[in-house]
Amino acid sequence: MLNYLIRRVLWLIPMLIGISLISFFIMHLAPGDITSSEAAFDPKSSEESRQKLRELYHLDKPIIVQYGLWLERMVHLDFGHSFASHQKPVFWAETDKEGNTTPGMIQEALPITLLMNIVGLLLTLTLAVPLGVIAAKKYGQWPDRSITLFNFIGFSIPGFWLSLLLMYWLGVIHPWFPISGLHSLNYAQLDAWQKCQDLFMHLFLPVVIPAITGLAGVTMFVKNGMLDVLSQDFVTTARAKGLSDRTVTYRHALRNALLPLITLIGLSLPGLIGGSVIAETIFAIPGMGKLFYEAVMMRDFPVVMGILTIGSALTLMGNLLADLAYAWADPRLRRGVMPQR
Amino acid sequence: MTNQPLSGMHNIRTKRHVSTGQRFAVGVLSSCLIACGSDQPDKNIPALNQTYPAQPGGTMISAMPSDPSSMIGMVAGESASLAIGAYLFNSVLKYDQNLDLTGELAESWQVADDKKTITFRLKPGLQWADGKPLTSADILFTWQLITDENTHSPYASDYQLVTKAEAPDARTFIVHYSQPFAPALESWASLQVLPKHKLAGQDIRTTSFAQKPLSSHYYQLKEWRHGEYIKLEKNPKSVLGPANIDHLIERIIPDPAAQFLELMADNIDSMNMDPITYARIIPSRPALQARLNQYKELGNSYTYLGFNLKRKPFDDVRIRKAINYAIDKQEIIDGVYLGLGITIASPYKPGTRWSNPQLTPYPFDPTKAKQLLAEAGYQDSDGDGIVERNGKKLSFEVLTNLGNKQREKTAVIIQRRLKEVGIETHIRTLEWASLLTNFIKPGDFDAVVMGWGLGLDPDQYTIWHSSQQKPGQFNFIGYNNPAVDKLLEQGRLEFDPEKRMQIYHDFAKVLYDDSPLVYLSAGYGLTAIHKRIQGIMNPVPPAGVGYDSQKWYVPEPLRRTQIQAE
Repeated sequence: MLNYLIRRVLWLIPMLIGISLISFFIMHLAPGDITSSEAAFDPKSSEESRQKLRELYHLDKPIIVQYGLWLERMVHLDFGHSFASHQKPVFWAETDKEGNTTPGMIQEALPITLLMNIVGLLLTLTLAVPLGVIAAKKYGQWPDRSITLFNFIGFSIPGFWLSLLLMYWLGVIHPWFPISGLHSLNYAQLDAWQKCQDLFMHLFLPVVIPAITGLAGVTMFVKNGMLDVLSQDFVTTARAKGLSDRTVTYRHALRNALLPLITLIGLSLPGLIGGSVIAETIFAIPGMGKLFYEAVMMRDFPVVMGILTIGSALTLMGNLLADLAYAWADPRLRRGVMPQR
Repeated sequence: MTNQPLSGMHNIRTKRHVSTGQRFAVGVLSSCLIACGSDQPDKNIPALNQTYPAQPGGTMISAMPSDPSSMIGMVAGESASLAIGAYLFNSVLKYDQNLDLTGELAESWQVADDKKTITFRLKPGLQWADGKPLTSADILFTWQLITDENTHSPYASDYQLVTKAEAPDARTFIVHYSQPFAPALESWASLQVLPKHKLAGQDIRTTSFAQKPLSSHYYQLKEWRHGEYIKLEKNPKSVLGPANIDHLIERIIPDPAAQFLELMADNIDSMNMDPITYARIIPSRPALQARLNQYKELGNSYTYLGFNLKRKPFDDVRIRKAINYAIDKQEIIDGVYLGLGITIASPYKPGTRWSNPQLTPYPFDPTKAKQLLAEAGYQDSDGDGIVERNGKKLSFEVLTNLGNKQREKTAVIIQRRLKEVGIETHIRTLEWASLLTNFIKPGDFDAVVMGWGLGLDPDQYTIWHSSQQKPGQFNFIGYNNPAVDKLLEQGRLEFDPEKRMQIYHDFAKVLYDDSPLVYLSAGYGLTAIHKRIQGIMNPVPPAGVGYDSQKWYVPEPLRRTQIQAE
């Protein structure tokens, strides 16, 4: 087991290098760099100063040299400084001589996005599992049909459109929720409980809307899983034993139906750090999606690479954990009897 | 600057791209809001229309579309940073309400007889918000900082022309140039002076001053939640006397539709609008309109159709003029900008000193266009509706940048009008960086629909002088006219405003006759401000709505109760 673990962890290193190399090259395939942004097209600025900036960031060097320089920094876990926001570190906070701290860009955006995505995922699951079970139990009857209809309406509505309508309805006509932003302007003056409330109110719409529009997939997944399981022999056996319908459905059938769902959740874990550009833009939330999108548009390579590196590292970690769990469960895998996944 | 900057204090638009999704979102919302009818009437409208005496205090909340990256705009080189910096830092000179130069930190300035030395005499008793004196040493330090190789300021070039700068005493600052340079005065009106005692010895690229600045102007930074809001607080030690409004809050709301909803819910006091919001959405909501003042002012920018003058057939002035006559500019303004723009005849804002009043925009005259094409030897001999010369069709490609809906629509209208006189065009939209890197820089294009945003000084050397054609420079259309070169050089040497005016009028006349590009439109900047903000100059001065915003005030009965409690 230990051997297997060491082998797998060492294997991560070439994987990470490979991923970063490919991302780095693809990113540089796009035309332009930080000096060709629309803002830089200002008759007051000079081509000479743009050239100096390219030299400062080594953008004039061959791409493989640029990659080498980047890799050298990454070995020390130095994510560098953003090109566009000159004076901001990409990931770690920095403290200057006078003890003032400048927070890192990813460091600021990541907790917001993580909070939104985790709450959103939990919300989707709490709604999707019961809905899926009901739809499977009442398959072909009106509850199933109305759930399916509701899901498809949710799935088909463009999220930004629903967002704007709800912002108008619940923010302007009935001002129950704040329209945009993450904190009230007087946030610093609030006590801890009010701060929680304030955050809840601000995050309500941005979390609930994607959860509703994303409900369809998971509900269908649960429903189909349940349908498969409910027709299997062991369910018939359970019923034959005289167990109540409730016990059969929830203790025996649902548990089995949920197994593939756990795989699905496992796969969605790395996605938790990626935010939605459209939702974050409409609701004015400074999360990862907006950070990444703007970095790509500005050709802000250190930020793009920082986010990609963290994302791929998390994906690989997730895969590793999943494989370890399988290996723990299945001795054939860790002894190499079966071909590795 | 290539977007349509709105003049005035809310001139905060960054050049980041807006996704088509967002544009679409605005469109959908707009149509919905037009249809949705009226909102609840506001009980305070009579009170809002009353004028109160000026009084200090209160808060004003505005929206801006993107977060500045730093408070040191001269280094960040980005409009949001410069706009916030304008509240925090003073410059040596400034433009008054009629766009004439006057002193800000300087009480007077003198250009030496040889025009190579400028001496600034500073006002007495200047100080930073921390009470330390603001002296000529700070200006000297800022100049050194901007021109330092390691600072990499995009605006360094004008300051690098200074051969020697000196601060012989605390109130005197002297700059020497190797030859007269008239735009120098504008450069001293745009340099935001930074405190030496805070920044000396710091690495400008990593200093936390960029996040926690020390100011000298009307406001100082109180709180900055990145990507959420910036709170500015009145600086009681402001060198120009205190402002009226206590707190300015800039909320960062990227989506224009969300900004508008916040305005409707009365969570923000002011925002910049697009033409549809100004012309259609707000008039359809009387209750909202009743609590807003709406301002319309010409921005310092224009949209144009530019030709690659190094390519045939654009080297022929008759073809350029034919295209100019064939395009109906008013139709573009009405269709794309809902009438919120004007036609122009020179690259200067109409109504300012630099704009030549004798020139009138090329009229829409398809007959004349056809006649000019015929003179240039173009005839439709095969009857396909497209003119040819020597068997070669007059057909070219128009490039513009993706995501700028106004330019895309403009290109389509141009395409149709040119087809009517027998010119075939293909429109191609490209992402900005790709347009710039693959087409503009190598000079591989026929024609472009783009825009220029201009400063207040009339010098346009970098755009029109024949020496500015290298890849990456701004005369990418390849304009080369010795007469224009000479005028541009003269304009840089002449400090006298009257004589300069004549030079730039002549310059605009040569451009007009040469028609190296078609001026399409100069759009209005549109701003909505809640009526609780009073003391705004009426009528709007040439310098814009935001001029003298330190005199704005929020009368006590009209203040927001919630914010007041703070």
